Amino acid sequence: MERKKTNIEDIDRGIYDIKDEFTYKYKSDHGLSREVILEISKEKNEPQWMTDFRLKSLEIYNSMPVPAWGADLKDLDMDNIITYIRPNTEMKHSWDDVPDDIKNTFERLGLPQAERESLAGVGAQYDSEVVYHNIRKELVDAGIVFMDIESALMEHEDIVKEYFMKLVPPQDHKFAALHGAVWSGGSFVYVPEGVNVDIPLQSYFRLNAPGAGQFEHTLIIVEKGANLHFIEGCSAPQYKVNNLHAGCVELFVKEDATLRYSTIENWSRNMYNLNTKRALVDKNGTIEWVSGSFGSKVSMLYPMSILKGEGARSEFTGITFASTGQYLDTGTKVVHAAPNTTSTVNSKSISKNGGHAFYRGLLKVTKDAHGSKSTISCESLMLDNESKSDTLPVIELYNDDIDIGHEAKIGRISDEAIFYLMSRGIDEEEAKAMIVRGFVEPITKELPLEYAVELNNLINIELEGSIG
Amino acid sequence: MTKWKRIKLNEFKFPKVTDYNKEYLSYGQLPQGVELNKINKTNNNLIIENLNNNITGVGDEFTSHVMANYNTGISLYIPKSTNIEDPIKLEFNMDDENPTTIDQNIIIASANSESTIIFDYTSKDENNFHNGVTKVYAKKNSVVNIIKIQRMDDKSYNFDSNIAYIEGRAVVNWISVEIGSDISGSNFTSILEDEASEGNLASIYLGNGTRKMDLEYTMIHKGRRSISNIETRGVLMDQATKVFRGNLDFKKGAKLSKGVEEEFVVLLDPTVKSHSIPALLCEEDDVQGEHAASAGQINDNQLFYLMSRGLDIREAKQLIIQASFRPILDKIPMDDLRDLILEEIDRRLLNG
Repeated sequence: MERKKTNIEDIDRGIYDIKDEFTYKYKSDHGLSREVILEISKEKNEPQWMTDFRLKSLEIYNSMPVPAWGADLKDLDMDNIITYIRPNTEMKHSWDDVPDDIKNTFERLGLPQAERESLAGVGAQYDSEVVYHNIRKELVDAGIVFMDIESALMEHEDIVKEYFMKLVPPQDHKFAALHGAVWSGGSFVYVPEGVNVDIPLQSYFRLNAPGAGQFEHTLIIVEKGANLHFIEGCSAPQYKVNNLHAGCVELFVKEDATLRYSTIENWSRNMYNLNTKRALVDKNGTIEWVSGSFGSKVSMLYPMSILKGEGARSEFTGITFASTGQYLDTGTKVVHAAPNTTSTVNSKSISKNGGHAFYRGLLKVTKDAHGSKSTISCESLMLDNESKSDTLPVIELYNDDIDIGHEAKIGRISDEAIFYLMSRGIDEEEAKAMIVRGFVEPITKELPLEYAVELNNLINIELEGSIG
Repeated sequence: MTKWKRIKLNEFKFPKVTDYNKEYLSYGQLPQGVELNKINKTNNNLIIENLNNNITGVGDEFTSHVMANYNTGISLYIPKSTNIEDPIKLEFNMDDENPTTIDQNIIIASANSESTIIFDYTSKDENNFHNGVTKVYAKKNSVVNIIKIQRMDDKSYNFDSNIAYIEGRAVVNWISVEIGSDISGSNFTSILEDEASEGNLASIYLGNGTRKMDLEYTMIHKGRRSISNIETRGVLMDQATKVFRGNLDFKKGAKLSKGVEEEFVVLLDPTVKSHSIPALLCEEDDVQGEHAASAGQINDNQLFYLMSRGLDIREAKQLIIQASFRPILDKIPMDDLRDLILEEIDRRLLNG
């Protein structure tokens, strides 16, 4: 095998980095003001309550301080972020109607092909608006709603109004307030009682414009006894200016329902990824998070599960890969708020070439959550000593009838393991790559096949040139 | 004073500091060259020499309060290759006449020396107050054992900041027993400065009544092949609150270092609050760091077995609690001290 010693900056991120020419139908001014928000709301023809909600969120945003912990956000200049860009197309239901440049972007990302082969429905967002949304007819017949959230706001206003930003209120933190003020695009999914969606739905978010922000809102309601797998993909090409992603995901898992939410996030290295994800799980319901964080300059992402009903369950499987210039502060929060709830957290992180991976987690067991069980396991792998890796899990227990276990390990690839593989005729780099792949295998096996392949490719891209 | 950490100590004011006049120091044979002095405002050369080493400990307000107001403590200088066989013992027994102990202790252990120092804090009357700083300088190859027992009255406040600067191949063993006071904050920091520096911390805590504790143990690995171990066993009951913070911090250059931390807590009542924050910070790839924490109830099978042998439920629980503390207590080499602690634990369990 040829040795590749390029720096990570020079690595071809291939398909992810191909930029389209920046054209648009409408874009808001830089920065944030009452006028910008009124314009966005007007562009979208929104009901008055939503306009009011946006303005109220703006007030909250202005009144809240930037979080003092975690990532350094002082390079993030909100005055230079374009909050709203309408691409040069309307929403389409067939790929043939989507303009060629946008369609080609998604073709390169493999979305239409995946739709044909393995997905039940696809939404594609380009900058601030959803450009494509389609769902198989049999799912529509079963009563499943899968559409962009703007359309949902028109067609299912009562449902959206009932759930929208109820789980993540704008008061939650500064960037939730920002999201409430300028949100645009995203998907709405409603799975009626007892319906089992056995092939996944996917939304793909692509941010093409430089110096812009993407603020999509994903709202998923899985009714009693229903079952859904939802996949979220994100990417953007590399620019010299900072981009911002402050999306919001709200998941409502009702009694006996199951939702699996998978994310492969591959933002470019100029992105601030300050996303908020939260799930509310009713009696005997299950939320399963599968989360891969590879890209972005700064990430602060802690998907949260609130186990509200007795016997609710959450499972978090996450992997974070931090390289040069990246600070990825990720983890998960679990609140056991009802008896006999269980949670499992399995997190892995890899840091290399000066990257900084930070696991930050919270486990909270409230007074009423007797009989609850939780296991948390965090493992960190460091590939060199320029990098950093930190683990900070907070455990808060307010109840004695529980069973909690936590473990964390930090370290590097053992020389013995490499020596063994090399004695079997595998060269050093391949041996390291094999060990890293083995390390993340518990995560890859949770993903649908084509995403597992994508993840492995990403690891190959990331590992090339890292050793030697 | 603002809210103090997770305990949220509201409207706390430092009490008026009065002199501590009781005898507190006892020791056996001191080898030649050992300098052991009680600290007072006129005899504090070692303190002045080490004043620059400002430490944060449980919080800047508390350590600077000690610097400004200390009324007792010791300075101890142990020359090279000297072994102090009999432990040096400091017993602070606060009462109405001597309600505050603000102790400042400096221990300088020269190369190849060995020593054991015991601190025992008790209080007779309500509203006693302890705030202290202990600094240990362990030079090359030295061994310093520090045993700190805090069994103050349930209405007292306790704050204690400890730091050790550990040179190459030196070992500092901390043993901390936290079973008293109403509010207690303690911090033990070990800086493993050089090749094969070693810091060990073993602690037990008992939270009963409405006690609130914030216990922080920090190991900073700077030297190559440095070793650290944090081992904590605790029991919480009634309305007790505990915050455990264990920090393993591997600095760049601490190659081949190893750090382990463990906390096991047994929860006996549904009204307890238990917070655990085990942090692993790492700037060096060639290290091994591990932490584990677990929390749960007493195993029903164990209880059932003991009760089938004729123990009542209280006795059975008591035995299981003692057993969970045992691995830590067994590290204390003095039988009498160990028995004293076990008696104190029993007394507190029975009252509770």
